[in-house]
This record gives sequence, structure tokens and C-alpha cells, in this order.
Amino acid sequence: MGLLSLTILIPAFGALVIAFLDRGDAVPKIVALVTSLAAFAASLAILGPFQMGEPGLQLTESLTWIPAIGASISLAVDGTSLALILLTTFLTPLIIIASWDSITDRVRGYLAAFLLLESAVLGVFAATDLLLFYVFFEVSLVPMYLIIGIWGGAARKAAAIKFFLYTLLGGLLMLVAILYLFSQTGSFAYADMLALELSVTEQRWLFAAFLIAFAVKVPLFPVHTWLPDAHTEAPTGGSVFLAGVLLKLGTFGLLRYALPFFPDATVEFAPWLLAISVVGILYGAVVALMQSDIKKLIAYSSVSHMGFVVLGTFALTTTATSASVVQMVNHGLSTGALFLLIGFLYERRHTRQIAAFGGLAKRIPMMAGLWLVVSLSSLALPGLNGFVGEFPILLGTFQTNRTAAVFATFGAILAALYLLWAYQRMFHGPLEGADNENTSDLKPREIGVLVPLVVVIVAIGLYPKPLYDLVEPSVDRVLAEVGVEGLIPGDGLAEPEGGDQ
Amino acid sequence: MSVSSFLAQTTTLVPPVEWAGIAPELPPTAMALALLLLAVARKRPELVSLPAALVGLGLGGWLITQDQIVPGAVAIGLGIVIPAAVFAFPRRQSMVRVFAAAASLVGALVLTVWQYATVLAPDLAVIVPQEALAGAVANDGIALFTRLTVYLTALLALPIGYGYLQDRRINKAEVEPLLLLTVVGMAALGTANDLITLFVALEVLSLALYVLASLARRDRRSQEAGLKYFVLGTVASTIMLYGMALTFVATGSVDLPGIGAAMGLVTTPELVSVLGLGLVTVGIGFKVSLVPFQFWTPDVYQGSPTNITGFMAAAVKAAGFAAILRLYLVAFDDLAAFWVPILAVFAALTMIYGAVVAIVQHDLKRILAYSSITHAGYATIGVVANSDAGLSSTLWYLLTYAIGTLGAFGCVIALERRRRGEVTLLDLRGLGRSSPALAGILALSLLSLAGIPGTAGFVGKLLVFQAGVASGLVWLVVIGVLSSVVAAFFYLRIAGTMFLEEPDPARGLPVVSTGLSFGVSVAATLVLYLGVFPQPILQIAESAAALVR
Repeated sequence: MGLLSLTILIPAFGALVIAFLDRGDAVPKIVALVTSLAAFAASLAILGPFQMGEPGLQLTESLTWIPAIGASISLAVDGTSLALILLTTFLTPLIIIASWDSITDRVRGYLAAFLLLESAVLGVFAATDLLLFYVFFEVSLVPMYLIIGIWGGAARKAAAIKFFLYTLLGGLLMLVAILYLFSQTGSFAYADMLALELSVTEQRWLFAAFLIAFAVKVPLFPVHTWLPDAHTEAPTGGSVFLAGVLLKLGTFGLLRYALPFFPDATVEFAPWLLAISVVGILYGAVVALMQSDIKKLIAYSSVSHMGFVVLGTFALTTTATSASVVQMVNHGLSTGALFLLIGFLYERRHTRQIAAFGGLAKRIPMMAGLWLVVSLSSLALPGLNGFVGEFPILLGTFQTNRTAAVFATFGAILAALYLLWAYQRMFHGPLEGADNENTSDLKPREIGVLVPLVVVIVAIGLYPKPLYDLVEPSVDRVLAEVGVEGLIPGDGLAEPEGGDQ
Repeated sequence: MSVSSFLAQTTTLVPPVEWAGIAPELPPTAMALALLLLAVARKRPELVSLPAALVGLGLGGWLITQDQIVPGAVAIGLGIVIPAAVFAFPRRQSMVRVFAAAASLVGALVLTVWQYATVLAPDLAVIVPQEALAGAVANDGIALFTRLTVYLTALLALPIGYGYLQDRRINKAEVEPLLLLTVVGMAALGTANDLITLFVALEVLSLALYVLASLARRDRRSQEAGLKYFVLGTVASTIMLYGMALTFVATGSVDLPGIGAAMGLVTTPELVSVLGLGLVTVGIGFKVSLVPFQFWTPDVYQGSPTNITGFMAAAVKAAGFAAILRLYLVAFDDLAAFWVPILAVFAALTMIYGAVVAIVQHDLKRILAYSSITHAGYATIGVVANSDAGLSSTLWYLLTYAIGTLGAFGCVIALERRRRGEVTLLDLRGLGRSSPALAGILALSLLSLAGIPGTAGFVGKLLVFQAGVASGLVWLVVIGVLSSVVAAFFYLRIAGTMFLEEPDPARGLPVVSTGLSFGVSVAATLVLYLGVFPQPILQIAESAAALVR
């Protein structure tokens, strides 16, 4: 068994163990924490055999699964997927610690759902068989549906169903496209489908089908409406995972599948997608500005920030597209941290209305300080991680589409406005009311959850090179497949594994 | 005249019968007969059980001396099971019947596998289609899969329904024999290779089902269901018979391969054969409830006793589609230009109608009835794909659908036994907390019906969609996808009511008997197993595309 399958199986195994444990809550929590940490360790171990400069998919594992329909269990990673795998395995233990005391109802189910979700998502990032990819993509819906639906807020049922159906619709349309590709190749293998020569008309339709699936996940502007509900109603851990990891399935899918499979359609539709991203960036930012509920504000800020990621992806330059992968990681870290902070505040106050807070910095300086750092990271202050992602995205976009870059920059300005304004209203000003007076500061467990995040946020902000080194070759490979920039097609791709000589 | 010369004389008079070709149908038929006799014998069961045992043992012994080990073992087993059951449950006649009927179904399954391994596919890879009974019966992939599906369904339906029938005091002596006859009719429909066998099989299964649907004589809804099913079903059968007559007129042949061959000739009057095709489509469309011939389905499904509904929903589809596959792919192959577009439109309408109307239902049995309509649409995609892939995908789809449906209805039965009345969504509230195992199995069955990966239903949907896309029916597959999303909504609503809401303490716990939990657990296990490791059975489905043409 290779490292990849090990990383994927560890959380699922943990979920299985928890399902068979007896009623107590303490042991399942420990089992969940241990397995999620083990998965993190396993994913770190992948870095060992991983060849940094190698653009192609590596650490290939393959098992027969359903030969009758040409599907196999094939796994491999490139820099992009490895970055996202690390993000996933890094966030999951933090989520489990963060939910340690806040989830009291059906704890075992909650933990098992999270571990299953982690396995499914890791599978999505590692699969190189389209059917396997699709299976993981859809399977991830069920635990998330339960997490929102069982442990969520007041309107959780509607939010959970909305989340499920939106993604299912997109996913099934993608399935039709996958089946069409299968009817042309007779195999679900990524490499076989990549090698397929498609006419421009076919590419347009298939690209559209893939785009719908991933646009719902990202979410892009007109199909984003499930996100604010899902985020607001989900429990803290669910929001963190949703923002941190699940949204990335969309942008990852675009980069891994939609772009290289349908290069002509990509180039043709790129200006439209840039336009949609810009609309999403500005729309998300403006709507975030008007929110009175802090969790909804961050949810809309996700729409805006993920717009930047798509913008960078479809700018189709090495600078912008690599930066958009980096920005996927950054968004996962900073928005995840923000949702954690909101969750901790909510546990203390049982409200998320910005108007209910005020002057909290005096009472809870620790939380205020962390909140400020994370907000600054989210609004791309130089020196923190948001900047090293967002700035190159704008820079790269500027080279290909000046108008889009200019308008998108307004989104960055608006981000500063809504995040800082919210911070100001909540933490500064006079400390009024008994509720605000009695708010307690972060507990050691909560600090322990946030510190690793802040450390990584600062580290990436100060020295992003390792992350860029990790993702850039794989992005170059994708851009070469599209035929716009990066490597010349064939160069470096046909080479056997071995990396830099 | 000595006995041996008499025997020799009769064997020359009676044409030789390839017993292997119809072997799986013999145990249920014989058992149905024995059970009916047992009911007649009332307080003196030994009058039936002992002769039955003698016949079984004698036949089995003779078969074993003829080197037919497996059929001999089955005959001996069945011979023993009746007296054993009578001895074990002297005061519980219905238990005796359930055990005996289940044993005969196990025998049928064993013989199906035996037939597959020794006669159909001696090298266990490629199925060699064979005719039996002078071409009246075809043993091929369709026959194999139909047998597996219907026997398995009936075998699971028996224990699931046992306690329920007792609760409602409708565990009459005729239930199990009728069920067995229905199953035999279904299996015969799957093997029928000429129009007459096909029609007789259809009527055997239908007549028995009419009675089963109205089993609860004191329940007005059950009466209504039975009567409605009977009147409409008879009309549909008659229309179909007329269509068959026209087909015979056009082609001068009653056996399906012969019809298929004649259809290709220029001398065959096209108008008459198309008319025949149209009328047959109406009749068979009624049986599998394709829109626009589905109107009877919700009422009949709701009114019939729930175990009968579950069995009907699961198995009639399998048998009906077996007949559809054989009719359209063998007999009407040359008229594909006519039936492919028409059936495709029917499939589209069926998928949309079933899914959309199910949304506004509250009664669980009605929801599942509309869901069964939707699934008829999906299975039709495989038919209109008009290819080997389409054929095997439909067979696989019907198997997975049958298992999922039976699991779902099994859970409904557990809920109904608590309430003694209709089961609505409100009854499901908080079931995930009050009885997690049952809720889990119901949710799993629904996920399978919704086609979520990891379940058998997903592989089924995947295959029919794949076959549809490969045959260029992308529009139909897209409609199928859209209807799946709508259908997922109502399946999820059921799951959501169970897991996302709090239980209502005023409503008691569902009543789960041993038989029921056995049945639904097996169904759930199969759903998972076929969903994750579909390869072994899928391979058989792939090779099942070989037909007697």
C-alpha cells in the first residue's frame, strides 16, 4: 500500500473504529484526533518521495476495481493536489480539537462524518481515474449534508438540502460529460482522456458541463446562492471545512480537468470566466459589506476571494495561475481561521450579529489580536499569506486582461473595507452592555487551535517560495496542455520520473 | 404390459423435455402445489408432507444416480423441508409455509446458478444462449438475470412480510402459494421466447398478483387496489394480446426470433407489424408503469398490503423489462426506427413525471410508488440504447433497483406495524435517533435509489447513462440526470426527516421482527457490496448480452 492510499484510508479507518466504539464520548474524540494526526503525518511523509521539480503526476498507485466498465483505483499527485492534500490533513485535526467541547450531541456521528469527509476529499485530490474521482466527489456530499443538517443552526435542514442538490446537479452533468469522454476512449483513466482529440464543438459542451459542476463548488457568481446558507447554518467545524477545503474541489477540478481536457474551449471561454469572476469578486465584496451577521459576512467574502482564485486560473499565465493555487491554500487557512474565531465567539455569546458586539478588544485582547491578524491576512496585507497569493494573481491578470485586473483590484480594496469595518465595530469603540463586559477570552485549547494556523499564515507570507516551488511545475504542465504558456508541450512531460538532473 | 415397456412407449410419444432449461422454475411450482394441498389437508398435514417427502427423496435419489448431483440434492432438500417444517411448527401453519416457500426459492436460486455453471456458461465466462422446449423457452442472459432478481426478491420478501401479514391477520393459506406462482410467472416471462409462452407467463403472474393485491379483504383500499389492478390490467393484457395477434398476422410466426427474422423481409406488411408493435407497447408499458400508462400505480401500490407492494415494485419491473428487452431487441429489432424514438420519449416523460409528482406526496408508499415510476424510466434508457451495453445495463439496473426498493419497503413495513395505518413523513421524524439501525438501512436504500456513489444504485445509473451516451442519446441522459436531482430531493427529504429532526415521543418505536431485520439487512448488505465491488456480478451482466435471436 502506497503513501497516498494510506493517507486516504487512515481517516476512513478511524471513522469505522468510531462507529464500532461504545457509547462514551471521550474515547471517540481521542481516536478521531489520533487518526486525523496520523493522516497528517502520512501526508507529510508524501513530501519525502515527492520530486519537487517534476511537473507530471507522480507516486502513481493502481489497483483493478471494475474492469468490466474500465474503471480502476488509480491515485497520483502533482504539486497542486499535494498542496491541497496537506491543507486538508492540516485543517482536520484542528477542526476536531476546535469541536472538542462545542459538539455535545451525537459526538460519535459527528467525528465519523468528519473523518469520512476527509477521506472522500483526499480521494478527490488524489484520484486519476475519472470514475473514482466522481465517486469521491459525490460521496463527500453525504457526510457534509449530515454535518450541516444535524449539527447546524436553526435553518439547517433547508441549507443542507440546498447544498446537496446544487452540488449533485452540477456533479451529474459532469458525469454525463465524463461518460461522453468514456464513450470516446473506453477507459476512465486520466491520461487516456487527456490524450483525446476533441472537436471544438464537443469541447464547448463538455467544458460547459465540467464548468457547471465546478462553478457550483467554487462557487462562482450566479450559482453561489447555496454558500451563504450552508456556511451560516453549518457548525463551526463544518464551516471551516467547507471554506477551507470543499470550495477548493471546484477550483482544483477546473485546473486539473476542465483546462487540460478542453484547451480550445478554455481559451475561448477564458474572457467570459474572467468577467464572471470579476462580477463575483465585486458582488461578493459589496454584499459582504452590507451584512449584519458576521458569519454571513465571511461567507460572502469567500465568494469574493474564490473569485480571485478563478480569475487567476483563467488568466492563463504562470504567475497568475500558480498564484491562484497558492491562494487556494491561503484562503483555506485565513477563512478557516476566521470561521474558527467566529465559532469561538458564538459559543460565548450565542449571537453573530455585529451590532451586538462592541469594544471587545479591551475585554478579550487575545481574540482581538488573532482576529486582526487573520483579517489582515484575508485582506492581503503584505507580509501575510493573502498578499503573496492575491498580488501575483492581479499582476498576472494585468498582463492578459487589463480591464479585469483593474476591476478586480477594487475587490481587494473592498475586502479591506468590510473586514476592517467589521473588526472595528466589534472590537473597538466603547465597551457597552453586560454581555460584552462578561465575554471571556480564548481558552488554551482554542489558542492551541489558532496558533498553528497563524504560524503558517505568517510563514507563507514571509517566505512563500517553497509553496510556489511545489505548485508551479504542475501549473506549468496544465498551461502547456492548454497551449498558452509554461512548458512547450511534450517538454518535460514525456520524461520519466526523476526530476532535476 | 410391463412398466418399463410402458415407460419406453410414453417417452416416444412425449417429445423429449430439456429439464435443465426449466429446472429453476420446478421447485417453486411444486412447492406451490404442495402448500395448496397442505392448506386443503388442514389438521392432517402428514397426509401431504409424507407423500411430498417420499416424492422428493425418490426423485432426488434417482437424479443422483443419473449423475445430476445438484438437482438431486435440491429435490431431496425440498422433500425433507416440508415434514421438517410441519414437525417444527405444529401450531403455526403460516410459519411452515414461509419456511417451505423460502426453501423452494433457495432451491430455485441454486438451480439457477447450477444451470449457469453447467449449461449456460460451462467455462464461467461467456454465456451460450440456448433454446429449450422446442424454442418456447430461451435460456440466456435475460433469463439468468431475471431469475436471479425475482427469486432473490421473493426470498427476501417472505421473511420481511411474515410478521406484517400476521399483524393484519391476512396470513391466509393462499399467500405463499400465490407468491410462488407469481415468481414462477415472472421467471417464465424472463425466459419466454414465443408470444404464447410470454402471454401465459404474463397472465400467471398478473392473476396471482391481482389476488395478492386485494389480500386484505376487510380493508377498502386493498379492495380498491385489487379491483383497479385487475380491471386495468386485464384491459392492458387484452390490448397486448391484440398486438400479438397482429404481429402474428404480419409475420406468420409466434416465436420471437422468427418474428425478428420475418420483420426484416420486404413481404412483411409494415403497417400491420407497426400496429402490433404499438399495441404490445401499450400493454407492456402498463405492466412496468411507463408514462402515460402509469395511472394505476400509486393507488395500487398504496392500497396493497405493503409486503406485496414491495415485492410487486421490485420484481414485476424486473420481469416486465425482461419481456420488453426480448420483445424489442429480438422480435422488433428491425422496427427500431419506430420504437426507439417513441420509447425514448416515454422514458423521458416517465423520469420527469415520477420525480416531480413524488415531491408533493406525503404518504411513504405513494412516494415509493412514484419513485418506482421514475426508475422504470431509467431502465428504459438501457432499452432504447438498443445495444449490448444497454441490455446488460438494464439487467443490472433492475437487480439493483429491486434490492433497494425491497429494503425501503421493508423499513416502511416496520413503521406501518407500529401504526397500523398509512405511513407518512411525520412517522419518520427522528427515526435516526430512536432506531438508528432501521433508519440507517432505509437511508442506505434511498441513497441507492437516488444513485449516490458507494451504493449499488449508483453503478446501475452509471451503466444505463453510459449505455445511453454511447448510443448517442445524450439528451435523454441529461433528462435522466435532471430527474435524478429532483428525485434526490424527495429521497433526501425522507432521510432528512429521519436524521435531522427530533423524534416524537407520542409515536412508538417501529416493530422489527427477526424475519424483517434479516431481510432488510441482507438487502442493505447487497446494496453496499454491489456498490463497492460490482465486478463479479457485473461481469455476468456483461456476458449476459448474448441472446437467442
